[in-house]
Amino acid sequence: MLEIDHLEVRWKEVVLKYNFTVDVGEILTIQGRSGVGKTTLLNAIAGFEAVDQGDIRWDGRSIVPLKVTQRPVSMLFQEHNLFEHLSVWQNLQFGLVGDDIEQRIRAAAEVLEVSDQLDKSPLKLSGGQRQRIAILRTLLRPEPIVLLDEPFAELDATTRLIANDWVRETAKATNKTVLLITHQDEDVARVGDRNLLLS
Amino acid sequence: MTEFFGKLSVLFLVSVTTLSFYGLIGFDGGNSADWALLHDSYFWSILGFSLKQAVLSALLSVLLAWPVARALYYSPKLPFKAGFLSLCLLCFIIPTLVLITGLVVLLGRSGLLIDGLPESWSLYGLHGILIAHVYLNLPFAVRALYQQMNNIPDTSWKLAAQLKLSRWQRLRFVELASLRATFLRMFGFIAVLCFNSFGVVLALGGGPQATTLEVAMYQALKYDFNIPEVLALAWVQFAITSLLYVIVSRWGSANWLSVETVSRRWVPEASPLMKLWNALLYGTMWCILLLPMLALIPGISEMNWKTFNAWSIAQPALVTLLAALISALLALALSYGSLIPLRQAAMAGKGRRQLTYEWLGMHTLLAPAMVLSVGLYVFLLRRIDLDHWGMLFVVLLNAVVITPFATQHLRPRLLQFDQQYYRLADSLKLTGWARLKVEYPWIKSTLWFSFSLVLLFAMGDVAVFAIFGNDDWVTLPWLIYRLAGTYRMADASLASAVLLIMCAMIVLYFERSRQHAGN
Repeated sequence: MLEIDHLEVRWKEVVLKYNFTVDVGEILTIQGRSGVGKTTLLNAIAGFEAVDQGDIRWDGRSIVPLKVTQRPVSMLFQEHNLFEHLSVWQNLQFGLVGDDIEQRIRAAAEVLEVSDQLDKSPLKLSGGQRQRIAILRTLLRPEPIVLLDEPFAELDATTRLIANDWVRETAKATNKTVLLITHQDEDVARVGDRNLLLS
Repeated sequence: MTEFFGKLSVLFLVSVTTLSFYGLIGFDGGNSADWALLHDSYFWSILGFSLKQAVLSALLSVLLAWPVARALYYSPKLPFKAGFLSLCLLCFIIPTLVLITGLVVLLGRSGLLIDGLPESWSLYGLHGILIAHVYLNLPFAVRALYQQMNNIPDTSWKLAAQLKLSRWQRLRFVELASLRATFLRMFGFIAVLCFNSFGVVLALGGGPQATTLEVAMYQALKYDFNIPEVLALAWVQFAITSLLYVIVSRWGSANWLSVETVSRRWVPEASPLMKLWNALLYGTMWCILLLPMLALIPGISEMNWKTFNAWSIAQPALVTLLAALISALLALALSYGSLIPLRQAAMAGKGRRQLTYEWLGMHTLLAPAMVLSVGLYVFLLRRIDLDHWGMLFVVLLNAVVITPFATQHLRPRLLQFDQQYYRLADSLKLTGWARLKVEYPWIKSTLWFSFSLVLLFAMGDVAVFAIFGNDDWVTLPWLIYRLAGTYRMADASLASAVLLIMCAMIVLYFERSRQHAGN
């Protein structure tokens, strides 16, 4: 279980407070108005924001003292998810492990309709294609906690539905604990198990 | 591991300076600075000359560079402009002794161009020093001014045209308004460079009337072995350079490398007379910049090839290349390493710590090579057999002196990487070698053009070698100095041509790398 225990994070001059839990394998969608602290929450869990008070526990153990590189977290940012000076395929090599990983990448790329883009430079991809590549890598990584910051924002309506389904199926199949920020009620209904409205 | 390497790099840079200053303070051998020198008219004479030649050189370089930069800007169709800009770069980094050889052939006692000059003409003294300094720095100023002119937005010219401003008003309100700060910066930087100039004054100066602090230091150390006098001179040199550096830093940094024109802009059309003037000026500059290089050819034609021993030049050329390569590689490693703690501080948002590391990484810019060399020489004198190990210190000190030049270019590129990707790299758990593998393609072009730049600086070194070098490992610049000093101009011309070709090849590579790096 992921426990966000009376967590306080200072963002600019505001102290943001969070207190909730997420079960293993659960997909929690997070909504709220801009500036309410959705991204800050994910950054704090990933280790990019310092925690003022409270704790973040995974499996009963605090992950706050751990460095970013030591946390059991795979995160998708709103932007800059790919190294643009490397090819898509090189980008997909990072963080992915396992003998069958190439097969899994190709299968996922097929579903997400980006299999023709794997040998290209990210600079030659559209915003939506980049986002799907990044979603693919984030979900296939072995870390049990997946943080997705507006993953479907750049996708058109059809691709969005495909990506929605793939994220849910993959997360459930691999028992990931997912926190997903979205502004779309459709994503909440189609992907999430539970919705958290921050205010 | 990377953190350790970063701190080690900073520690190394700081240690060299600390040991050098320990030597300058003269704690350990009873050698303390001879401040009585300040009451000696000789001291005030060389200090006055050091400042006078620096100010005059800077003033002439900037004032003469302006019309050339204007010609390049207002006549965009001048032929071979890219080649001219590369030539400007070559002139700025040309090893001083190569230039001196060319100038001696042209304007020396039996020079090719002295027919029309007055009887009393002598290349040696203030005239020669100014000619050499202007030759070295004018192209630098041309590139910087031209770049700044390219930054004038189209909209300013369009507005000026729409408001029907006269030529004088355009010059005052658009061109000069844009260039004023660059003039100041250029003047300051060139003055600092000339104040610290060693090779030119060593070769063309002499006597109290034409000696700078750096040369006086060298003479006091190598000819008189007067350590207290050397220490006093080194401290004065350091104090004045620091003061000048602080003043110049307040005027901003000089970015002179990126001179390529942006896509063709809208600029006022030059009149036919102006176009003719620009073309004449441009052609004359080509000739002036090429002449000292071409002057090596008649010298070489006088070579006695029967008695010529190719190894006598090949060996110093190899030593120069090898020593410079090691210095440049070490400088790159030190630069990358010293940026690690700086980047970590930047990512953590610790501005003050970032500034501290920035200063620690760049501080060797403040201490001229001669001051560092003298301090370290005095420190090591009783501890190490410098005749035996001298070359090692030539390599090490050159690396330390050129490190800031590599850092100046690597820092923005790496900070940009961090700004864009550090969260992603951290999130992907990329550390150590894996992180380096991702960073390398990002900084590759910048890394290689930084490498070629520092390699060129290291290849032209005279100051450090003058203190630590020895006859077993003579470098090409020092060989040229010795040959020219004994009036063996044919041999000096050949050695200069070899060094010039080596540098020109690196400049060509440098320009290509710079274009790829987008710098």
